[in-house]
Amino acid sequence: MVHSTSPRRVGIAGALVAALALSACSASEASSPAAGGDGEPVVGGTLTYLEHQAYTSLYPPSAGFYPNGALVNNLTARLLHQDPETLELEPWIATALPEVNDDATEYAFDIRTDVTYSDGTPLTAENVVANIELFGTGDTDRALIVSEAINDFTAGEVVDEDTVRFTFSAPAPGFAQAVSTINSGLLADATLERDSEGFGPGNATEIIGAGPFVVESEEVGTSIRLAAREDYAWAPASAENQGRPYVDAVDIVIAPEDSVRIGALTSGQAHIARQVEPQHEAEVSAAGIPIVAAETNGVNNGLSFRFGHPLLEDIRVRQALIAGIDREAIVSSIFSEQYPLATSSLSQTALGYADQGDAYAFDPELANRLLDEAGWEPGADGIRVRDGERLHLVVNEALPQPRSRDVITLVAQQLREVGVELELFQGDQAAQTAASADVEQIQIYHSMVGRADFDVIKSQYSIENRSTLQNADADGEPIDAELEELLQRVASEPTVDGREEASAAIQAHLTEQAYVLPFFEEPQVYGVQPNVQGFRTESVGRPSLAAVWLED
Amino acid sequence: MSVVIRPAPEAAPPRWRPAAPPTARFALRRVGQALLVVVATFVLAFLLLHALPGDAIVARYASPELGLTPEQLEALRVAYGADQPWWVQLGLSAGGFLTGDLGTSLQSGAEVSTLIAASLPPTLALAGLGFALAAVLAVGIAAAATFAGTEWLRRAFRSLPPLFVSIPVFWIGIVLLQVVSFRLGLIPVINASPAEALVLPVVTIAIPIAAPLAQVLIRAIDDTLAEPFVIVARARGAGPAWLLGREVARNALLPTLTIAGVLFGELIAGAVVTETVFARSGLGRLTADAVATRDIPVLQAVVVISAVAFVVINLAVDLLAPAIDPRLRKEVRA
Repeated sequence: MVHSTSPRRVGIAGALVAALALSACSASEASSPAAGGDGEPVVGGTLTYLEHQAYTSLYPPSAGFYPNGALVNNLTARLLHQDPETLELEPWIATALPEVNDDATEYAFDIRTDVTYSDGTPLTAENVVANIELFGTGDTDRALIVSEAINDFTAGEVVDEDTVRFTFSAPAPGFAQAVSTINSGLLADATLERDSEGFGPGNATEIIGAGPFVVESEEVGTSIRLAAREDYAWAPASAENQGRPYVDAVDIVIAPEDSVRIGALTSGQAHIARQVEPQHEAEVSAAGIPIVAAETNGVNNGLSFRFGHPLLEDIRVRQALIAGIDREAIVSSIFSEQYPLATSSLSQTALGYADQGDAYAFDPELANRLLDEAGWEPGADGIRVRDGERLHLVVNEALPQPRSRDVITLVAQQLREVGVELELFQGDQAAQTAASADVEQIQIYHSMVGRADFDVIKSQYSIENRSTLQNADADGEPIDAELEELLQRVASEPTVDGREEASAAIQAHLTEQAYVLPFFEEPQVYGVQPNVQGFRTESVGRPSLAAVWLED
Repeated sequence: MSVVIRPAPEAAPPRWRPAAPPTARFALRRVGQALLVVVATFVLAFLLLHALPGDAIVARYASPELGLTPEQLEALRVAYGADQPWWVQLGLSAGGFLTGDLGTSLQSGAEVSTLIAASLPPTLALAGLGFALAAVLAVGIAAAATFAGTEWLRRAFRSLPPLFVSIPVFWIGIVLLQVVSFRLGLIPVINASPAEALVLPVVTIAIPIAAPLAQVLIRAIDDTLAEPFVIVARARGAGPAWLLGREVARNALLPTLTIAGVLFGELIAGAVVTETVFARSGLGRLTADAVATRDIPVLQAVVVISAVAFVVINLAVDLLAPAIDPRLRKEVRA
C-alpha cells in the first residue's frame, strides 16, 4: 500500500484538499499544490504511475502518442529545454541558445562535452548530428519516420568537438523549439542503429538516452520499471532538481480500464494516474486527491469541415453547422472546468493565439436561415434535402481524445434540430485511421494536436502534415491555395513577429471561411496523491518525473 | 448396516446420446475431423481478418500524426509483403505454419512464437486455476441445490447458475476489484505478488464457467436420483452423502465432462476480458491488442492455438467417455 490513510479520513480531508486543488491549480502550471511545497525533498522511494495504454515505440519522432512520450521525456535529454509555463527556450545539452543566421536556414549549437549516455558512451558532436539527421530525414528502409517538428532539413555537420551546425533548404524558424521537444530526444549511437521494430515493445531496456531515468526492466504490455540515473548532473538551469532524480525508481503500470486506474489511485495503490476522464474527476477529488490539468498548448479539440466535399462546399452550410452547435451545452454537461471553452482554433496559451471573438456563437435560427438560403429544404423526416440528396454527414470518432463519442452524440442531436443528419463513423482505431483521409467516408474530422510552437497550426491543417481539412484535390494541389500559403508562411517566417502575424492570419482565415469549430482547450488530466511533490509536465503535458519526491 | 444392491449398469438407459465407441477407426476419424476444423478455422480467420477495413500497416503508420506520404506507406506495404494478393499471403502464412515458422508481429516486430511463449504461461495458470475453482463451485452448488436442508435453501442454490450465467465477465471483475481491492483493501491490484495477482482474476473467470457446469450437474443429479436403482438404495436407508458419492457422482460426471469440453471456449473469451480488466499480460491481452492493431500473424497464431486446444480437449473428452461410463464400453462389446 502506497498511501495508507483510512477511507473515512480521506473522505473528510477530501473536500478540503479538493477545494485547495481547484483554486490553487491554474490550468497552465502542472504542479501538485496540495501540501504547499515546503519541506526538503526526500531522496528515495518508488513512484507508481498508472498509464492508460502500453507504449508502441520509443523512437522519439513517434513520441506524440502519450504513452510513448511519457517514457521518451524521462529517458532522453534534448539540446534545448522549453519552460512549460513561459514557453521560453533555455540551454540543456547545448551550452547556450543556438546562433541562427538572418533567414533562419542555419543553426549552430555549442554543446556540453561532459555528458554520457546510460551505456557509458559519451554524448559527442558526431552523435548529436547523427540524431538530428535521422529525425530530420527519417529512414524508410528501417520504417523510421521524419519528425513532424523538423521541416526542410538539409544536413548537419560537426564543426569542432563541441559545435554542430544544421542547415535548411528554407527558413526553419521552428527548429530551435523542435530540438527541445520529445520528438528530438537524443539517443546513443547504438540505439540510433535500430530499426522501427527495434524501438517497439520488448526493447525498452536497450533504448539508451541521457535523461534522468533509464529503463530497468519491462514486461511487455503490462509494466515498465524506470531507475534513477545516479550520475545525472546536466539538468537545465531552471530545473528544481539539478542532480539525480529524487525517487529511486518509477513503476509505470498499464491499466487500460478507467475504473481500475481511478480505483487504484483513490485506494492508495498508486501515486499518479494519467487520463482522469471528466466524469471521474469528482470521485478522485472526493478521495482527497488533487487533479492536475496540464495545458497542451496547441490546436484545440474541435471539428474540421472538409470543404472539398460537395456537401460542405457552400460556406453557408459550414456557417450553419457552426451556428447549429451549442458548444457551451456540450462542455458544461459532459466536461469539467479543466476543459475551458475554446476561443480560437488555437488554445489561449499556444504561441500565435488570436481571439476569434463570437465566431462560434450558437444561433439555431441563423443556422436554419442559412440552410434555407443554400437550398436545403426540410424533408419528410425533418432532415433537409436538396435535389433529392439528404444533408447527411459523417464524422470520425477521435479515439485518443476524451469522450469523443459523447461529444459527437450531443452534436448530432443539436444538428438534427436544424435538419442536418450527422453520423458517427463506427470502427476501431485501425478502421478510423484507414478512413480518416478519405473525404467520401469522413466529411467532418474531430481531432486536436499539441505542440508548443507556432508550427502547430501548420501540423494540423497543412496538406503536408495531418491535413485535417483535406485541402488537397486529386492531383495533390491545394483547393484553398491561400490557406496553404499562409500555413507555409508560419513555418518559414524567420522572425517571431512574422510568424505571429501569419498565425493570426490563418486563424482569421479559418474563421472567415467557417472551416473549423473548436470545442475546448484539451488538457492532460492527472490525479496526483497529495504526498507526491514536484510533479511537473513538459510543454505538451507529458510527465517530467525527475523532480518528484514522496513525502512521508 | 444396510445392504445395498448395486443395480446392473444396463438398468439405466442413457439420457443423452452416448459418444461413439472408441475403436481405432473411430479415433482416426475424430482426429481427421479435428484437423479439418483447425484448417478451416485458419482459413476462415485469415479471410475475415483481411475483410476488415485497414491493415497492420495502416494501423501502425497511416496515423495522421506520423505524416507519412502515400508513397512512403506503399513502400512500407511492399517491405512487409502486404501488397501481395490475399491468396499469396494466405499461402505464405500457411506454409510458415506448416514449417513451424509463425512469422513476426507486424506491430512490434517480435517473433510470434516468442510472444506466444511469453503469454501462454500466465494464461494457462489463469485458465487452469479458473477451471479448477469453477469445478469446485459447480459441485458445491449442485450438492447444496440437491441436499440442502430446506426447500427454500435448495431453490436458492438452484437459482444461482442462471444468475451467474447472466452476469458479464467484465462486470464481475470490476465489482470484485471495487469491493475487495479498492474498498476493503484486501488484495492490491497494482504491484501485487504473483499469487495475489491471481486471486481476483481466477474468481472472475471461474464464475461464468461454474454456472453452466453447475446447471448440467444439477440436472444430471436430478435425473439420476429419479432412477429406480437410487430409489431402491434410498429405500434401503442410504444417506445423502453415500448416495452422492457412490451412486450419483459417477452417473452425473459424463454430461458434466462433455459440457466442460465445450466451456473451454468460454475460458478463452473470459481470458481476453479478465486480462484487460486486471491489467494482466497473457494470451487474452495479446489477442485484444492484436485485434486493435490488425496484427494478422499474431491473430492467426492465437486462432490456431485456440482451435487446436479446443479440438484436442473435446477429442480427449470423447475418447475418455467410455473409460468413465462402463455402459459405453458394454455397448461396444454387445
